[in-house]
Amino acid sequence: MKKTLADCRLQIDEQESRQAAVKKEKSSVVIAVAGNPNAGKSTLINAIAGTRLQVGNWPGVTVEKKTAFFEYAGQKITLVDLPGTYSLSPYTQEEIISRDYLVHEKPDVIINVVDATNLERNLYLTLQLMELEIPVVIALNMYDEAEAKGYRFDLEMLSSMLGTTVVPTTATRGAGVNALMTAALSAAERSWENRPKPIPYGDDIERTVDAVVRGLNRELPQALQQYPPRWLALKLIERDQTLLQLLGMPADSHIISRATDHLRTAHGEDTEAFLADARYAQAAGLTREVLRKPDIRKRELTETIDAVVLNRFFGIPIFLAAMWVMFKLTFDLSKPFADWLGTMVSGPFRRLAEALLAALQAPAWTASLVADGIIAGVGAVLVFVPVIFAMMFFITFLEGSGYMARAAFVMDRAMHAIGLHGKSFIPMLLGFGCNVPAIYATRTLENPKDKALTALLIPLTSCGARLPVYVVFIGTFFSAHAGTVLWSLYVMGIVLAIAVGMVFKRTLFKGDAPLFIMELPPYRMPSLRSLLIHTWEKGKHFLVKAGTYILAVSVLVWFLLNMPFGVEDKKDSWMGQIGQVVAPALSPLGFGSWEAGSALVAGLVAKEIVVGTMGEIYVKKSDEEKKDEPLSIGEEFARIGTSLGEAFIAAGSNVVSTFGIATMSAGETEEKTKERMPLREALRQQFTPLSAYAFIAFVLLYMPCAVVAVAMRHEFGTWKWYGIAFAYQMALAWTVAFVIYQGGTLLGMGG
Amino acid sequence: MTLVELKPGQIGRIVQIGGLGPLKRRLMDMGVVPGEEISIEKTAPLGDPIEVRIKSYNLSLRKNEAKEIQVEAV
Repeated sequence: MKKTLADCRLQIDEQESRQAAVKKEKSSVVIAVAGNPNAGKSTLINAIAGTRLQVGNWPGVTVEKKTAFFEYAGQKITLVDLPGTYSLSPYTQEEIISRDYLVHEKPDVIINVVDATNLERNLYLTLQLMELEIPVVIALNMYDEAEAKGYRFDLEMLSSMLGTTVVPTTATRGAGVNALMTAALSAAERSWENRPKPIPYGDDIERTVDAVVRGLNRELPQALQQYPPRWLALKLIERDQTLLQLLGMPADSHIISRATDHLRTAHGEDTEAFLADARYAQAAGLTREVLRKPDIRKRELTETIDAVVLNRFFGIPIFLAAMWVMFKLTFDLSKPFADWLGTMVSGPFRRLAEALLAALQAPAWTASLVADGIIAGVGAVLVFVPVIFAMMFFITFLEGSGYMARAAFVMDRAMHAIGLHGKSFIPMLLGFGCNVPAIYATRTLENPKDKALTALLIPLTSCGARLPVYVVFIGTFFSAHAGTVLWSLYVMGIVLAIAVGMVFKRTLFKGDAPLFIMELPPYRMPSLRSLLIHTWEKGKHFLVKAGTYILAVSVLVWFLLNMPFGVEDKKDSWMGQIGQVVAPALSPLGFGSWEAGSALVAGLVAKEIVVGTMGEIYVKKSDEEKKDEPLSIGEEFARIGTSLGEAFIAAGSNVVSTFGIATMSAGETEEKTKERMPLREALRQQFTPLSAYAFIAFVLLYMPCAVVAVAMRHEFGTWKWYGIAFAYQMALAWTVAFVIYQGGTLLGMGG
Repeated sequence: MTLVELKPGQIGRIVQIGGLGPLKRRLMDMGVVPGEEISIEKTAPLGDPIEVRIKSYNLSLRKNEAKEIQVEAV
C-alpha cells in the first residue's frame, strides 16, 4: 500500500514540476506573505513593494487584501499579503482566508515573517505553514530589536533544523529585504523540490498520520491529490470541520476514528489540543536550540511606559487626553484643506467649466448639470479626502505604535457593557467629527460582529455636518439657552447609542460575545515611510471607489431638484413632490410641511444640506445674487495658490492655538448670521420652539447620509448594514420626535 | 484555582484550559497551553480586562475568559 502511495506521489511530483516549469515561463512568481499580527508584516511588505501595493478586500469579507505586481531582478512577481494570524486553524476570518488561499491557490513560495523577539510563538505558525508543502522562506524580522535585547540566534542551526532559508530582516530600515527576495525567488524556482521536509511531531502522531493517509488512499484517493497528504491527515486528526465538509466525510468517519484510536486512548479525546501541544513542543525545542537569551531580563521600555499609561488612576485620563489630541489633529488639521478644496471646486473650477460651456453654447440645463451636479459631486468627494487621509494616518500610527491595543485594554470594560469591543471607542469618537472616517476606522476591529455593531451605532454620534442645522434652529428659537439645548442633542445621541447597543446586543447580535483575547505588543516607532504608504493606499482607494458612488448620488440629487424639465417652483420638482409625499408622515412630529419634508430628503446627501435647501425653499430667491467679480484665468490660479498657503497656516494655527476643537465650535461668523436672517424669519413662521426641537432631534437621528452609506458599502462589501442602519434610525428618529412633540404638546408646551 | 485568582506578580503554571470551541482554540493558538508559566501583570483601570505574561509576551483577556484557565501556583 505504502509503495503505491509513494509511486503516486512520484507521479504527482513529475506532473507538478512540469506544470510549474510551464507556469514559470509564462507568468509571474506568486509569493504569499504570512505571519503573526504585530510581526512587522505590513512594514516589510511596504519595504518590498512600496507604492505598487493595491488594496482591496478578500472576496465576501471585510478583511483587507493587499497585492502587488512588479518585477524583481527581471522576474515578474505577484506578492499577496495574507492577513496576520497566529495559527491556520479555521476559527477566525483571517485564518480561514489565509488557509484557503494557501491550500487552493498554491503560491510558489511563502515568506513567513517571524518576530525575532517572540520566536517561540511565531514558530507555531511557521510549523503549520510548513505542513502545506509549499517552500517557506523565513524573514526573521525585528532582528535589530532582538539583538538590542541581547538575544543571540544561531541562524544556521535554525535554517538546517527547519530546512528552510532564514534571512534576518529589519523592515523599518529596509535591512535584509534584498537578501529575502533573492532567497524567496530561488526557493520558488523549483517549488516542488524545495518544499519543506516534514518536521516530526512524535511517534504517536506520525504513526497516526501514516494510518490516515493509508485509509484515504484506500477509500478517498482523490483527496490525496487535492491536498498535501500530510497536512490533510493532520487536519483530519484534528477533525477539522471545514475540511470534513469539503471532503463530504462525516465527523465520525471510520477512516479517522480507526486511525486515531491509539492517539485518543493515550492522550485524550481532544486530538486538536494534543496536536497544538505537539507543535508547541517542537517550537519550544527549536527555540531552545537556536536562541540564547540574556540571563537577566532587563526592564523594558514598554513596561515602563505601560506602568504609567495603564496605571489604575492615570490610565483613563491619559487615554482621554490622547484621544483629544487625535481628534483635534484629525479634524482640525484636515479642515482648512477640505475648505480649500471645496472653495476651489465651487469657485475657480466651477467658473472655468461654466465659461467653457458657455463658449460651447451648451444649453442651460447641461451647464447646471455640470456645475450643480457633477462639479458639486466632485467637490463633495474631495472635501472628504483630507479627513480620510488624516484619520488613516493617525489610526495607522496608533496601531503601529502599539497604543491601539492599550486603548482597547483601558476602554473595554465600558464598551463591553453595550456589547462593543474596547477598540470600538475610537471609531465612535471619530463619529463626532464626521461619521465617514469613523466608519472606515472600524477596520481596526477584527471580529465582524464587533465591527458591524460599531458601524451601526456610529451614525448616532452627532457629526459636524449636523451642527449647522442645530445652529440655525437654536439661534432662532433657543438663543437664551443655546448651550444647554446643543448639549442635550449630543447627550441624546450618546444615550440612544448606548440603549440601541444594548438592544442590538440582545437581538441582532445575540449569542456569545466575540472574544477579547489580544496581544499587547511592545511599543514601537512605526516607520514614516510605512505610515505614508498606508495612508496613501487608503486615501487613493477611497477616492476611486467611494468617489464614484458619491458622484452618482450628487448627480441623482440634481435630477431630483431639476426634474421635470424646466421646473420653476421647487414645490413641483421631483424633490418637492417627494416632500409632499412624506409630509403627512411628519405631521405628527410637528413639521408636516412639504418644505420640511424636501429639506430632510435632500439631507440624504449630507445633513448640513438640510439648512441650505431650507434656505432655497423658504427664502424666495432674490434676483440680486451676490456675484463675485469675474476674475481672469491668471488671477484665478494665483488665488488657488494663495488660498492653499492660507489653508496651511490655518491648519497649523488650528492645531497649536486653541484648546477647543475648531471643527466643532458652534459659533457662526457675523456674516453668516446676517445671511441667514431671512431664513430665520421664515422658520419662525413655520415652527414653534417645540416643533423646532423635535425637528433637530429628528435631524440628529434620521438616516445616515449618502457618504456614510457608501462608506458602509465600501467597508462591508454589502448594502445590508446600511439598510439596517437606515431602517432603525428612521424608526428611532420618528419615535423620538413624536415623543418630544406630542409629549410636549400634552404638557402644554406646544404654544 | 483559576487564572483570575492568581495574585499580581505571582507565577502560575497552566494545568488545564476549560471551555470548548473558539475560546480554547484561540488561547492555545496564542500559546496558552498546559505546562506554560503565566503571571498576571496588570488589571485595567476599570477592573477588567487583565494583562498576563506568557511565553515572553503580553496578552490581555477578559476575566470571564481567564476563568477558563486552571493554574497551579509555582
